[in-house]
Amino acid sequence: MFEVVAFYLFAALTIVMFVITVTSKNALYAMSSLAAGMIFISAFFFLLDADFLGVVQIIVYSGAVMALYAFAMMFMDTTKEVKENNPPKKIVFFLSGMIALLLVLILLTPIISDKVKALYPMSDEIGNTEAVGIVLFTKYLVPFEVAAIMLLVAMIAGIILASKRMDESITLKIDQEIEQKGAE
Amino acid sequence: MSGLEQFQDRNVSQNYYRVKIEPYPKTPWEKFKRVVRKSLKPDLLIGLKITLLEMLRFNIHTIQYPKEKLPVSPRFRGIHRLLRLLESGNERCIGCGLCEKICISNCIRIDTKPDENGRKIPTEYTINFGRCIFCGYCAEVCPELAIVHGQEYEYASEQRAQFAMKEDMLTPLDKLKEQKEYPGFGAPTPAADKLIKKTPLAY
Amino acid sequence: METAFIIETIVKILVVLGLFSALAGFATYVERKVLAFMQRRLGPMHVGPYGILQVLADGIKLFTKEDFIPQGAVRPIFMIAPVITAATAFIAMAAIPMFPEFTIGGYTVRPIISDMNVGLLFVLGVMGIGLYGPLLAGMASGNKWSLLGAARTAIQFLSYEVVTGLSVLAPVMIVGSLSLIDFNNYQAGGVGNWLVWKQPIAFILFLIAGFAETNRTPFDLLEHEAEVISGYATEYSGMRWGLFFIGEYANMFTIGFLVSLIFLGGFNDLWFIPGAIAILLKVFFFIFLFIWARASWPHVRPDQLMWLCWKVLMPIAVVNVVITGIVMMFF
Repeated sequence: MFEVVAFYLFAALTIVMFVITVTSKNALYAMSSLAAGMIFISAFFFLLDADFLGVVQIIVYSGAVMALYAFAMMFMDTTKEVKENNPPKKIVFFLSGMIALLLVLILLTPIISDKVKALYPMSDEIGNTEAVGIVLFTKYLVPFEVAAIMLLVAMIAGIILASKRMDESITLKIDQEIEQKGAE
Repeated sequence: MSGLEQFQDRNVSQNYYRVKIEPYPKTPWEKFKRVVRKSLKPDLLIGLKITLLEMLRFNIHTIQYPKEKLPVSPRFRGIHRLLRLLESGNERCIGCGLCEKICISNCIRIDTKPDENGRKIPTEYTINFGRCIFCGYCAEVCPELAIVHGQEYEYASEQRAQFAMKEDMLTPLDKLKEQKEYPGFGAPTPAADKLIKKTPLAY
Repeated sequence: METAFIIETIVKILVVLGLFSALAGFATYVERKVLAFMQRRLGPMHVGPYGILQVLADGIKLFTKEDFIPQGAVRPIFMIAPVITAATAFIAMAAIPMFPEFTIGGYTVRPIISDMNVGLLFVLGVMGIGLYGPLLAGMASGNKWSLLGAARTAIQFLSYEVVTGLSVLAPVMIVGSLSLIDFNNYQAGGVGNWLVWKQPIAFILFLIAGFAETNRTPFDLLEHEAEVISGYATEYSGMRWGLFFIGEYANMFTIGFLVSLIFLGGFNDLWFIPGAIAILLKVFFFIFLFIWARASWPHVRPDQLMWLCWKVLMPIAVVNVVITGIVMMFF
């Protein structure tokens, strides 16, 4: 009973939060509701006894949204509403609505059909941290490694882009002055 | 040099010395070495040790003000006092008005009248403490050492006239024995008796 | 059965909430006293014997003070930000086993609200969300100092979360579990089994990162009054400010429990001391350490903070993990 109540509560909260994210013109509202929605999603993982995924959802998305906040802080005044110049097109609404519908239909199939079965059903013998590890390092090893290499590439590219003037430090300019005084 | 003599030497520059600034690291390797050297020094732990020792010694310097008060310097210029003559208990003030005249913030007012002996005595003596700047000129100029500064430094009050009336400042008759001479501005120096000479009468 | 479980959980939640709110208040008193003694002062002395009721007076002041919201602020977010800090600080405690199991009238009580098998990650993650409080507060205040505080929150969070995660990874590899109860059981059997002897570097790194995550003094850049007035809390007053305060002190207790559980033997019996008292002693030592460091050390500049995180602590943490892995593989 409690699980059902919790499910509907968090489902409603998540949907409300994401609706605010999409419709709000204030960057601060949009991002805060995005963060809240991401954290409410983790509740579903906890309800499904997938503790590890739930916690990872919290950790990963709180960090990721925090980075978004940093960008918003740099680019716009978050206490004011953003004026959007390009009016939304109807075709965009239509297509995104259809995609969402399609996703819902795909995820409905296990309920409608009996022939779809879980490849890796929950087992009580191993905890779900181990279960995630086993799946990740057997069946999905290649995608996992490819993703790791892509992240590495992205990290190196980011460092190179940022490091063009890295040896020129603003705070260390004072040190140069000390050096000159020492030479005298 | 010992004692106070060192303070008479105004030529301070002879004690100057150059602070040794260690050369700033130029190569990354030198920077790295400096970081390691500074990190492995026990400076942070020494800081912790000092504070912990201070706590264990419990060498507290707090004065719990309303309960405890520090002694005030005898030359402190607090709320004014009107003194009495020690022998007779008469007021010292002769109503000459010098203090009223010299007061730079113009806050002293005196009313005088002749008493039954024909001497001039002050009937009213008030100081507007809203304007008084506690410069001490009144005490310095007073020929009778009558108006002096007291030790009182808690000036907050409910009324404007709290400390300002004559009866507030005048030493009460029953506390005459506790009256102390003021050693500040205008008071005779400790060796005044030796230095003073008789007044020649032939003028 | 299920009803009993729910009643038990609610009772535990209420106990934790009440106890740690009171402890947070008491910790402010202890902090003021200890700081004062270390600076040759007496600290609060007037309210009650030795000023012990000062907490109460502060509480009355905070509750009755005007709850001020500036005109330029984003109201809902401004109002919700302190609640995030305080709430996450208490939610994080849900997965911490505070004491060993004990029995009251034949009913065994496990002093942990939710025994999940990823307790460590949960606590760290939820404590990480706690930094959304300062971030949102700073961005919603419509104040430059607050915004600077919020920017500092963002960089500090994003940097030190990395150090926390990496430093804890090595002990997790050794124990082979993310459950704090497993950590505790691994270290049963005396001081020699404590993880701090196997992972001294991880211990120090985790402690440093703990200072950064609770924004205590060497890293209290978010609200350093000499630089950014009061940082994110500049526009706050009354109980909303008090919630930030309670959150910070509750986080100190959480970090104290975490360090004790992961590295210092948790609630196992220590010599003749029973486990419950042993872990309390450890936690109070860490609270004292937080205050002690505040009395002793100056705080760092923001660029030094970043330098320390990315050029010193993170490489050491990675090397530590690699060495731990190699040692576990071949020995």
